[in-house]
Amino acid sequence: MTKRLAHSLLVMACLATPAFAQQDEKALKKDLTAVIALQGKSCGEVVSVAVLKQNDYAATCKDGNKYHVYENDKGRVVVDKQ
Amino acid sequence: MRRAPYSAVVVILLSTGCMHDRKPETQPPPSTKTPSTTTPSTSKAKPSAPTTAKTVPPATTKPQAAAPSKASPANPTLDLESLEARLKQTKAIGLMTKLSLKNQVDDLLDEFRRHHAGKPTPTVAELRRSYDLLMMKVLSLLQDHDQTLASDIVSSRERIWGLLADPKKFAAITA
Repeated sequence: MTKRLAHSLLVMACLATPAFAQQDEKALKKDLTAVIALQGKSCGEVVSVAVLKQNDYAATCKDGNKYHVYENDKGRVVVDKQ
Repeated sequence: MRRAPYSAVVVILLSTGCMHDRKPETQPPPSTKTPSTTTPSTSKAKPSAPTTAKTVPPATTKPQAAAPSKASPANPTLDLESLEARLKQTKAIGLMTKLSLKNQVDDLLDEFRRHHAGKPTPTVAELRRSYDLLMMKVLSLLQDHDQTLASDIVSSRERIWGLLADPKKFAAITA
């Protein structure tokens, strides 16, 4: 019985994890799209993101531009074109 | 050996839980300080939004739309503290965007500081342009996902400008 329960939980967790990950990634892309737009840089929409470390991302835009978006040691969000 | 699946379940559930790390940051209802503003009639009506949301924490069914719409009073002018609190808590804006907006607000405040210190630039007209532009950025980020906050900000726009443009009031709020 417990073995079955564990199995079900495992399956559920495996199914749920990618869904949460997808949601988070979508939110992150939207967040970075807004950040890049706020800085007046050309992007359109962020289509892929690589998390380099906390508050430090490499974003690729729909228009082909790539940006390094990060928070510097002074607490400022910097968008550097790559 | 039989323990292995359990360990796997625990690890996966923990990792699933960790993925929510970013979200609760914006989720909890506003815990604004009681707005000690000069306008008594409007300031009393304001905190009803945060407090109603706070007193009903298990409102999991209707997270945001219901509470704020009830809360918006007839004349919803915001004081800066509650505006800041609500901007911090809104889920409509992501973390990095909030940081970026904060940078821009700080830059604008520096410009006001320069202006009030008697520097020739920026002029009031330039400050107003920057202020309006920043407001538009904030509103464009909010309008689709937190309409209540967006409309409250619109209502408070002139009042906030009044605070920033008046040297004495500005000194008081930035002290």
